[in-house]
Amino acid sequence: MKYRLGIDVGGTFTDIFLMSEDASRLAVHKVASTPADPSCAIAEGIEAILRAEGIAPTDVSYLAHGTTVATNAIIEQRGGKVGLLTTAGFRDLLEIGRQTRPRLYDLQLDYPAPLVPRDLRIEVEERLYHDGSVARPLCVDGVRAAARKLRKENVDAVAICFLYSFVNPAHEAAAKEIVLEEMPGCNVSVSHEVLPEFREYERLSTTVLNAFLMSVMNRYLEHFGRDVVRLGIKASPKVNQCNGGIMSVDAARRLPIRTVLSGPSAGVVGALFVAGAAGCRDVITFDMGGTSTDVCLIRNGTAAVSNERWVGGYPARLPSVDVNAVGAGGGSVAWIDLDGLLKVGPRSAGAVPGPACYGLGGQLATVTDANVALGRMNPEFLLGGRMRISQSASERVLASLGKRMGLGPIETALGVLRIVVARMVKAIRAVSIERGHDPKECTLVAFGGAGPLHAVSVARELEIAQVIVPPHPGILCAMGLLVADARNDYVKTRLTMLNGAGSADLEGEFQELEESARRWLAAEGFAPHLQRLSRMLDMRYARQNFELSVPVPAGSLTSDTVEWIARRFHEEHERNYGHFNEREPIQVVNFRVKAEGLTQKPHPETTFETGGGLTRSAAASRKVWFEAADPLHTPVLNRRELRCGERFAGPAIIEQMDSTTLIPPGDTAEVDKFGNVLIGLGRR
Amino acid sequence: MARKCDPVTTEVIRNQVQSIVEEMAIALMKSAYSTNIKERRDLSAAVFDARGRTVVQGEHLPLHLGSMLGLVEHIRNRYPEDRICPGDIFISNDPYRGGGSHLPDVAMAAPVFREGRLVLFVGNIAHHADIGGASPGSMAGNMTEVYQEGLRLPPIKIFERGSLIEDVFELILLNVRVPEERRGDYAAQFASLRLGVRRTLELYEKWGEQTIAAALDEILDATERHVRRSIARLPDGEYLFEDFMDDDGFGNQDIPIRVKIAVQGEEIVFDFTGSAPQVKGNINISWSGLQATVAYALKCLVGPDIPSNEGFYRPVRIVAPHGTIVNCAAPGATAGRAQTCQRVVDVIIGALAPALPERAIGASNGSNTSATFYGRNPANGEYYVYIETYGGGSGGRAFKDGKDGVQVHITNTSNLPIEGLETEYPLFVEDYSLVPDSCGSGKYRGGLGLRRDVRILGHTCDFSSQGDRFRRRPWGIFGGGPGRTGRMILRQGQPDQVELPSKTSGVEIRPGEVIRIQTPGAGGYGPARERDPELVRKDLREGKISPERARADYGVSVD
Repeated sequence: MKYRLGIDVGGTFTDIFLMSEDASRLAVHKVASTPADPSCAIAEGIEAILRAEGIAPTDVSYLAHGTTVATNAIIEQRGGKVGLLTTAGFRDLLEIGRQTRPRLYDLQLDYPAPLVPRDLRIEVEERLYHDGSVARPLCVDGVRAAARKLRKENVDAVAICFLYSFVNPAHEAAAKEIVLEEMPGCNVSVSHEVLPEFREYERLSTTVLNAFLMSVMNRYLEHFGRDVVRLGIKASPKVNQCNGGIMSVDAARRLPIRTVLSGPSAGVVGALFVAGAAGCRDVITFDMGGTSTDVCLIRNGTAAVSNERWVGGYPARLPSVDVNAVGAGGGSVAWIDLDGLLKVGPRSAGAVPGPACYGLGGQLATVTDANVALGRMNPEFLLGGRMRISQSASERVLASLGKRMGLGPIETALGVLRIVVARMVKAIRAVSIERGHDPKECTLVAFGGAGPLHAVSVARELEIAQVIVPPHPGILCAMGLLVADARNDYVKTRLTMLNGAGSADLEGEFQELEESARRWLAAEGFAPHLQRLSRMLDMRYARQNFELSVPVPAGSLTSDTVEWIARRFHEEHERNYGHFNEREPIQVVNFRVKAEGLTQKPHPETTFETGGGLTRSAAASRKVWFEAADPLHTPVLNRRELRCGERFAGPAIIEQMDSTTLIPPGDTAEVDKFGNVLIGLGRR
Repeated sequence: MARKCDPVTTEVIRNQVQSIVEEMAIALMKSAYSTNIKERRDLSAAVFDARGRTVVQGEHLPLHLGSMLGLVEHIRNRYPEDRICPGDIFISNDPYRGGGSHLPDVAMAAPVFREGRLVLFVGNIAHHADIGGASPGSMAGNMTEVYQEGLRLPPIKIFERGSLIEDVFELILLNVRVPEERRGDYAAQFASLRLGVRRTLELYEKWGEQTIAAALDEILDATERHVRRSIARLPDGEYLFEDFMDDDGFGNQDIPIRVKIAVQGEEIVFDFTGSAPQVKGNINISWSGLQATVAYALKCLVGPDIPSNEGFYRPVRIVAPHGTIVNCAAPGATAGRAQTCQRVVDVIIGALAPALPERAIGASNGSNTSATFYGRNPANGEYYVYIETYGGGSGGRAFKDGKDGVQVHITNTSNLPIEGLETEYPLFVEDYSLVPDSCGSGKYRGGLGLRRDVRILGHTCDFSSQGDRFRRRPWGIFGGGPGRTGRMILRQGQPDQVELPSKTSGVEIRPGEVIRIQTPGAGGYGPARERDPELVRKDLREGKISPERARADYGVSVD
């Protein structure tokens, strides 16, 4: 039997998830993360899980991991020393950015300082017109002199970004050659390779971020690769990307920026897999952890994609799973503002001192305290009994918070949860209703430690009828890594009118991108039948400035397809902005091709016994408050003892090691053949 | 004080109304055509209660707050309640009759009806690239009356009972340049309002009328409490400050802006008596513009997180004699009011600096430098209007330098990508950079100004501009030095180059010529001699200051 390993490196824990090829065998291992060199924890975890399960390293057929190395390097400003070559007259663009400040009324807050100081930003004589024709030829001697200066400065990487390189990359390509001649083996990050898209500042920022990460990522991947070899694993390791796909180690070395913010995307991929198996194609993912919550919309089996991201205060344009993050989770602190209204987050109590119930000195009421006080979370133990907690501590801090609003501790706890839910609902509305998609038609997949506890309340507010809680809500990210496909996104900016261009012309642009895509897929080892390409066009009405993406049907483009695309664009415009204008000409901005290499997926089959079920009288129970009036005696079930096909009505609580699921009165739950708990919301 | 709605429900409903306002703003921004709206986010959205009080406003541009405050009030002055119907949309831009602050900001509002009763208004406002008048872009510096500045719209209906009033729309479009593009902007505003109406009705479905009404009241009371507690933290006393505008573009120079601020307990009075009478040029501020500016400055200094709504103003009193530059009378010209608003912020910060030494900053670039390019694109024969506003230095702070090249205070609009503007317009940007040595010295120096050189390609371009602090430098505080002034140069780099004044109109730029726009720096904070020599050396290394400057101001010599 062969085995697959998925490794999710988090801030506190590194999760290792092991699954046999036929999915008959699952195992999970958690080790403390080692932020200084994350590969230590990974190696330790792999070794431990293989030993515990008695599996030979050579039987590991697949190894994928998500890394936070790049994200952390940016946030902590611990990347390499970067030199930058720009078009003459534009070296300050990196510092000016869009000339805005991050918060309107805050005189003290700035965007972070540029990652390349002004003296390492060197201007080179060259300039193109907007159509790519040459206004001023590249000054080769200038590039050479600049490269020599940067060599003397001992930079770790060189970034190159010239105006209009996305139309005509010749100057950038020539400059790269010269830099490599002067600095053989140097890390070079060139804008048309990183992101051949228009809008110079965002392209520049992304290119510089990529350069900033190259040396860090190289170092990390070297350690990681050595460890894998040392452990005797033959499979070539994969790295997760923010677009929800995986890539080879080689690709990650060249494009480390793509690993940034990749964590949440693995959860979305895991949720997609779970929901897909259960037959749901329209899904909202709800991943609530200790300090923040990520939500994402999946329509028709495809996660929403966003091209605009911010990381550590810097803009990065790259296709990524469109996860909307809210600064509120289980550890978020509830407080009363100067206006006398109750607020929750973004401040978090963290792991130390943590919520008041931990008894580690926390004096502030958190979301976890509210759940503990209401009996929704186990009032005595966490982590399956490994950690003792104090319900009375939670009640005490909630009482003192409530006193300031004239509310009792239970009312206050319910209030804290109402506000958390309101914030989650707002975040989900932003990715669904505000883009013209109705959450009512979706299923909510709840995971992360705190997701299953709040999911039903969130679903009810959005009139969602069904919630899915996967068997291991705490490690869905690690599982997502096991089922992710390889993915690369190809883009070309060319501003042209949709109707003016002619279908053959559009087809030509797509074919060019597809050729590159196929070459990449072949190089990554995917046979033609495992390659999947899909086309998109980013478009707008002429003279607008934001684009909408419309999928382009497979097969050769004809004038009929062009008409179909135009209709789809008008529909999308109406859906997103509430109006459209059929007489207005449509302008194409970007051609996109998504290349996927299909990995072999496990076939989820039930590992859960059917039939049986608990007699309710035998189950433990406790008092749980659902409203301020009397608490209800609520059965407490152990997730491990649930059997496939079992159905029961709320109120009920399901406990497991790393998560608690709440089923309020009036709602029903059912365990499906994959071990998911499906919660059906009753009408109120 | 008895609460009308409990603090949890109020917070939940506030979140939901805020969601609606944000959604309205995003829909408007993303589907608009004017670069001001789509790229530079010169727009706002808001929800008002039936009495016209602003309850929740999107935080996009501070100056719009004032226009929103007056909007519904002006509508209600013109229309008795029985003439306001479901499906109506009102449009307005006039600083005197419509609560606006200058004509290009077109505001709209739609009533929300429930079971036949008017319960709310939703509104939005957006800066259009042109609203007609004597000069392309409707922002040029040489106008003396509001009549020259463009089409004046009192609050009138543009939709009645769900139908567009074509006559009104055609009248508006006939009066503005590049009407086809403008049509898209108006459509985006209509759609954003319809969305707002739909969303607020959903909110009523969920909560019922009484709860919503109570929550909206409570939201305003909560803001009032917030402001009162924040003001109470200021030491009681009287604070005075005065500064001067360069000129109004018509030879009136050194125009005083004066404020006396009285803090007493939870209340604060801003008295602008002693500021200049209104001027011939277009830098006058309307009453709504002044309210917005004062609110901006106060929020910055005492509570950046306080929501912008009617409750904010309850403990704040503003005194400004009618007919002065800070509260002008019809038909004073106001297109360039942003220049003066920036100066009003400077004097408020300057006045309160002794009370808030850790929050006050040196004078920032003190202007809202903007340029309008107008011409016929030789590539397609079509007319274009292109407006850009330029950031500059921001003032030195108690614990760090001012930011270089950034939008300050009442504006925060982004630049247009060069790859976007050159594709759209027959212009070519030669240089876009920070201006070395333009910062005021100090323990923490002021920020650097910006420079942009634009070459005109293949046609003759009609150029107009607005700016200030071309003569009077942005001051430093607590011993910090002043920043450099701004300037504008026609035919930059040619033997016949000409220095232009800050407020111009109808300047012809011929094919191939370059116009340089350079914005002011900002004042420093604290004495220069207290600056960490390491920071001086870093500025030197980065070429942000010259060796001469390092020696003269900081006593740091170069090896």
